[in-house]
Amino acid sequence: MTSNLAYDVQKIRADFPILSREVYGKPLVFLDSAASAQKPRQVISAMVDVMENDYANVHRGAHYLSQVATDHFESAREKVARFINATEDEVIFTRGGTESMNLVASCFGQAHLKGGDQVVTSVMEHHANIVPWQMLEGSKGIEVLFVPVDERGVLDMAAFEALLGPKVKLVSLAHVSNVLGTVNPVEDIIALAHSKGIPVMLDGCQGITHGSVDVKALDVDFYVFSGHKLYGPSGIGVLYGKKGLLNSMPPYQGGGDMIETVTLEGTTFKEAPHRFEAGTPAIVEAIGLGAAIDYVSEVGMDAIAAHETLLLEQAMAKLSAIEGMQLIGTAPNKVSVLSFNVEGIHPLDIATVLDRQGVAVRVGQHCAEPLIKAMGYEATVRASFGMYNTLEEVDKLVAGVEKAKKMFGA
Amino acid sequence: MSMELYQEYADALDMLDDDMRFEYIIDLGKTANEVPFPEDFMRDENLMHGCMSRVWIIHTVNDGKHNFIGESDAVIVKGLVSMMTKSFSGLTSEELAGITLDHVRKLNLGALTTQRQVGMMAMLKHMQKLAAV
Ligand SMILES: Cc1ncc(COP(=O)(O)O)c(C=O)c1O
Repeated sequence: MTSNLAYDVQKIRADFPILSREVYGKPLVFLDSAASAQKPRQVISAMVDVMENDYANVHRGAHYLSQVATDHFESAREKVARFINATEDEVIFTRGGTESMNLVASCFGQAHLKGGDQVVTSVMEHHANIVPWQMLEGSKGIEVLFVPVDERGVLDMAAFEALLGPKVKLVSLAHVSNVLGTVNPVEDIIALAHSKGIPVMLDGCQGITHGSVDVKALDVDFYVFSGHKLYGPSGIGVLYGKKGLLNSMPPYQGGGDMIETVTLEGTTFKEAPHRFEAGTPAIVEAIGLGAAIDYVSEVGMDAIAAHETLLLEQAMAKLSAIEGMQLIGTAPNKVSVLSFNVEGIHPLDIATVLDRQGVAVRVGQHCAEPLIKAMGYEATVRASFGMYNTLEEVDKLVAGVEKAKKMFGA
Repeated sequence: MSMELYQEYADALDMLDDDMRFEYIIDLGKTANEVPFPEDFMRDENLMHGCMSRVWIIHTVNDGKHNFIGESDAVIVKGLVSMMTKSFSGLTSEELAGITLDHVRKLNLGALTTQRQVGMMAMLKHMQKLAAV
């Protein structure tokens, strides 16, 4: 396998201070970016810089610093908008993907869902795209329908189409699975749903990090992601929504910054995005996300994706040579999120041995219990590769798994 | 109070370096089956929640002394749960209530992986809850 010469992974690694640390006296091999990615110095300094020099509350003060802070904050929104090809008034800052989806469940739910309506999601989802809908089952009497997956971890599109009956008011599916790495055929999903007049939300928490996303080309109605998986800080996330749809929904929370006028008789609300951003937002984190977007854009999302695919292919080839290896998620269209088990060894034992070697992986159900069960497991080991991982690190993963096999004699 | 086993574990672990501690726990996990955990006790009601592996602990009282046996589907966790249950079996309610997180800390497993130490503290609390002390 040839490496991609144009992609200078060592130069990228040098931007991420944490990657030079050791754990248990061994160099850190960080293969858990799907949970939360590490941050480049550019993000860290942008955040420090605003706190040291330009910090004040936004949208409020007539004073100089408030203006400067507001400019930074709103320019972060612009960066997000450009990154996904949206306009700024379609970009709402939230605390993360989870809050974005809860916002849609709550506000779209209030405006457009009533008892007996259906929402289609899938077995493949993160709990953040299941539980908010189940809560609406409880409170509103809606019904949640689940698209099944096959043994490779591919959505059953025939079943999806069959589920799209007249009571379905929203389709909410993962763009990319956080357990299997499966990239769902989102163009087909959206075209099918739209042909029946049903809007679509995509959970892009994993999709946004592994390739470029164009919400206009997709014609998606809502797109959701978190800053911390995109090499930005935690505490900030994004909800993209089509303008008309957003303004058809009531606010999420009430408070400052989201109202036009407040009188004792009542309140009129601003339009999106401010309608959905009550209170002081995560100013520094939004600016950090803007810096992260600058960073990945400079490297190029397609270049990042190509590098990650190289790592994935090498990992899948080498791991599958290990006896008893069960690769979980073998969809033809798959990104660098790799779940596996080794027959006869508990995933936690594997992960603990890896951890002792400095290799950080995730173990468990990855907030997707229905999926893990549907694939026939209790838990899996998950290695996920980011823009800064190397082929040598893939080899350390493989060596660690082999070591675990020896230690546990399977 | 009879905490001989606990003391034995603490002494043994004290002499080892981190890598050897790790292997010691794995060996404990591999040999813990000398007293097999009754299969039909692997029921959900004996399951300890909030773990990345499944952990079952059952509790009995005999002559005013609390006894525990534990099981897990992960070898490392089985080593830890067996160490915990053996260490703190045979104690009276009062003695068991007096076991603190310091006892867990003194086993020096923190460097093994911090997650496991947190897990062991959870096991101790769970055992104390089962015994209602
Ligand atoms: C697919 C997917 N959806 C939703 C989430 C939730 O994101 P957050 O915890 O950042 O709100 C995650 C992250 O774990 C995810 O991977």
